[in-house]
Amino acid sequence: MWSWTVIHRLVIRAARGIAAFIVLCGSVAGAHEIGTTRVSVVFGADRTYHIEIVTDAAALLEKLEAFAGRPPAPGTGLEETFLQRLTVAFDGMDVHPAIEYSVAPPTDAASPALATIRLAGEIPRGAREFTWTYSWTFASYALTVGRESAEAAVTEWLEGGQTSSPFPLSSMVAPSRLTSAWRYFTLGFTHILPHGLDHVLFVLGIFLLSGRLRSVLWQVSAFTVAHSITLGLSMYERLAVSPSIVEPLIALSIAYVAIENLFLSELKSWRVALVFGFGLLHGMGFAGALREIGLPRSDFLMALLTFNAGVEAGQLGVIGVAFVLVGLHCGTCAWYRRRIVVPASALIACTAVYWTLERLSF
Amino acid sequence: MSPTWSASKFRRLGRLATAAVILSVAPPLLAHDMWIDPTTFVPEPGTIVGLRLRVGENLLGDPLPRDPALINEFVFEDGSGRKPVVGRDGADPAGLLRAATPGLIVVGYRSNPSTIEQTPEKFNQYLKEEGLDTVAALRARRKETGVTTREMFSRCAKSLVLAGPASAGQGDRLLGLPLEIVAERNPYVIAIGQELPFRLTYENRPLPGALVVAINRLNPAEKLRARTDNDGRVRFTLPRGGMWLIKAVHMVPAPAGANAEWASYWASLTFGLNDTL
Repeated sequence: MWSWTVIHRLVIRAARGIAAFIVLCGSVAGAHEIGTTRVSVVFGADRTYHIEIVTDAAALLEKLEAFAGRPPAPGTGLEETFLQRLTVAFDGMDVHPAIEYSVAPPTDAASPALATIRLAGEIPRGAREFTWTYSWTFASYALTVGRESAEAAVTEWLEGGQTSSPFPLSSMVAPSRLTSAWRYFTLGFTHILPHGLDHVLFVLGIFLLSGRLRSVLWQVSAFTVAHSITLGLSMYERLAVSPSIVEPLIALSIAYVAIENLFLSELKSWRVALVFGFGLLHGMGFAGALREIGLPRSDFLMALLTFNAGVEAGQLGVIGVAFVLVGLHCGTCAWYRRRIVVPASALIACTAVYWTLERLSF
Repeated sequence: MSPTWSASKFRRLGRLATAAVILSVAPPLLAHDMWIDPTTFVPEPGTIVGLRLRVGENLLGDPLPRDPALINEFVFEDGSGRKPVVGRDGADPAGLLRAATPGLIVVGYRSNPSTIEQTPEKFNQYLKEEGLDTVAALRARRKETGVTTREMFSRCAKSLVLAGPASAGQGDRLLGLPLEIVAERNPYVIAIGQELPFRLTYENRPLPGALVVAINRLNPAEKLRARTDNDGRVRFTLPRGGMWLIKAVHMVPAPAGANAEWASYWASLTFGLNDTL
C-alpha cells in the first residue's frame, strides 16, 4: 500500500545522496539532462528478477496524481497506476511484477525524499532477452542490469519512455554451481599466479629455507591452515583488521622469512609457529581481495572454499616450479645454500623491505 | 470546511483531471520543456531562494540536479548587478541565491547543447506540437520527413523573483541568452485579467512568427498560444494566479561541423502571478 501521507511529509529537500552519483556520471553521459532517477535490475540465481527504482518522491507523487486523475488516498490501487507506465518484458512479452515501495528518510533539511519502488517476479522459462521501458521520468537515467554477484553489471543511459536494448539473459542469469566453483577456483589461483607477487615471494622464502621436502611440507601446511582460518573468519565478518595494518605486515613477514633464511639452514619448530602466524596475516589479505571480487549470496561457502583451494593450488604451483627448476637438480648440492638460498633470500628481503616502506606510506 | 480550503481543493482537482487527460493520451516524447522552479517567487529580502531546475511536460517535472557539464551560464541580476548562481554539484535545488537587494531579481540559465536522435515520426510530431512550421515545411521540401534526425538542443531558462514590495518601475531585462523571453511589464504588478506583453528575441534581435505558449500550474491543460508579431511580441491576458510558464522553441540548421542536422533553443520564463491584486 502506498503511504501517501508519508511521502507528502517527506517532500522539499535536495539530493545529497545522488550528488556523487551525478558528478560521477556527468563525464560518462556527456551533456545529457540527467535526473535523479536510477533503475537497477538484478537477476537472481533462482531465476528471479528484482528491479529497484529510486526516484524523487515528490515528482513521482505529482505525476501519479495527475495520471490517476485524483489525489492519492490509501487503498486506491495506485501501485497498478504506477505499473501502467512501465514495461518489464522477456522476449517481447510483458510480465506483471509484484510491487512494493519505501520512502527513505531525508538525510538533511536540504535533501529530497527519495522513493524506492521494488518490482520482482520469476523469469519465464526459456526466456532469452530482457527489455525495460520506464515512462515516469522526463530526464535521462541510468539502467543497470546485472547478476546477483554484481561483477557483470551493464549500464545503459535511457530517456524517459525509451525502451532499453535487449539484454541477453545467457550472460545475466547466474551460472551453474560447477561453473561458479571453477570460476572462484581460478580467481584464487590467479590471485597467487600471476597477480600475487608478494605471496609468491613468501612461498619462495619458505621453499628456500632447506632443500628438504619435509621442511617445505611443514611450513606450507602451517601457512595453509592459518590463512584458511583468517580468510574464513574475515569473510564471515567475525574478524576485521584494516588493510593499512595488514598489508605492511604481510610485506614485513616476507622480509622476516627471507632474512631468517640467511641465518637459518634447517627447519626449527618455532619457524613453523612463525609461519603459522604469518599465515594468519596473509589470510586477511586474501579476504580483502575476495571482498573486492564479491561472493554470491546463494553459494557463499562454496565460493569461499573454492577460492581458498585455488590459492592453495597457486602456492603449490609456485613450489612445484621452484622444485623442478632448482630443488630437483641442486637442492642437495654443497653450493645450494651459498649460490641460491643466500642471494635469492637477500633479493626477496630487499624487495619486501621496500614494499613495507611503500605500504606504510599510504 | 473553510471556503478557502474548498476553493483550493477544487482548483487542485481540476488541475489533476486535466493533467490526467494529457498524460494518458500523450505518447512519451523525447523533447520536453525545461524551466526554473524557485522555492518561492516572493522571498523576504535577505533570505535564500533555492532555484530548482525541472524538465518535463505541462509543468509536471523531474528534478535536474546541478551538473557542471551542462551549465553554460547560471546567473541572476538584481539592483546591484549580475552575479553567478552558486550551488553544489549534483544538488537539487541546482542553484541558490540570496535576495539581498529588494526588487525584481532576474535569474537566467543557459545550458550547453545536448544531442538527441529522433525517429522521423517523433521528430515530425514534435515540430508540429512546438509550432515549428517553417522547419517542417523545409523538411517536406527537402523530402526529409522520413529521415531519422539528430538535433542539438540548448536550454535558455529564466525566472522572475520578487524580493520586497513590487513597483511598476521594476522590470525584466535582456540577459543575452541565445533565445530569450522578456516580460515587458512587471508581472508582480499585473492583476489577473490584465494584458501582459512579452518579447521573444533570438541572438538579441526580435524573433517574429514564433509560437509562444503560456501554461499555468493550476490548469496546465488550458494552454494560451500566440505567435509573435514582427517585433517579436506577444500579449497574454492571464486568467488566473499562481505559477506561470511562458515558453518558446526556435530551431535553425545546425552549424557546420556539428554532429546534428538541427539546433534548437528552448526559452522559458517562470513567475508567480498574485491573485490578490
